[in-house]
Amino acid sequence: MAKILIPTPLRQFAGGNDTVDVTGATVGEALTALTTAHPDLRKNLYNDAGALRSFVNVYLNDEDIRYLSKDATPLSDGDTISIVPSIAGGR
Amino acid sequence: MLTIEKAAWDVMVAHAEATYPNECCGVMLGKGKTVTRAKALDNTYEGAQEDRYEIRPEDLLAADREARKDGLDIVGIFHSHPDCAAYFSKTDLENSCPWYSFVVLSILKGKFDNAGSFLPNAEQTEAPEEELIWPKS
Repeated sequence: MAKILIPTPLRQFAGGNDTVDVTGATVGEALTALTTAHPDLRKNLYNDAGALRSFVNVYLNDEDIRYLSKDATPLSDGDTISIVPSIAGGR
Repeated sequence: MLTIEKAAWDVMVAHAEATYPNECCGVMLGKGKTVTRAKALDNTYEGAQEDRYEIRPEDLLAADREARKDGLDIVGIFHSHPDCAAYFSKTDLENSCPWYSFVVLSILKGKFDNAGSFLPNAEQTEAPEEELIWPKS
């Protein structure tokens, strides 16, 4: 069992929960379990092509999964998955 | 409408003025649409920071953990526009996230001049301005 931390603005699409417990062998499976349980989250996290939106980063504990094995990153019992936005800009 | 309390506002303005002529950035914590705490973050943009900023995602992750620990939420993001108006630029829009309020502080000749708050959409195509209340002192 892993825990996914839900950013405040998305909790309304996750039954009001700030965390959601999921099962899955990989981060990808966990995210699929999340969006299956809470389908309204899907359009907030993924674009029409089914890819994570450009501003969405996924962290397993303290590591960005892009630098691990992306969706195939294996999960261990007690892991925490965080959804963290990319933010930049300039005048 | 976004309301920023004085303690948070003072941190935001001080950070924006201290980093002038570079852009600053930071995160705003609070509840609902009220900001009670602001945290200055490093501008990690690798290049001229007079007209660009970038927030390290790990810093946002740390801010989220702090917020959860203290019963707060991440309410928004702030950054400064040195010698430029408090508008939401094309660069701001193309690198935004629709989950938060984005406050822009205009800093003219090193001093705070004005501010605006914007709500970008998920497609990063528009960011309507919302009413912003800050302490006028």
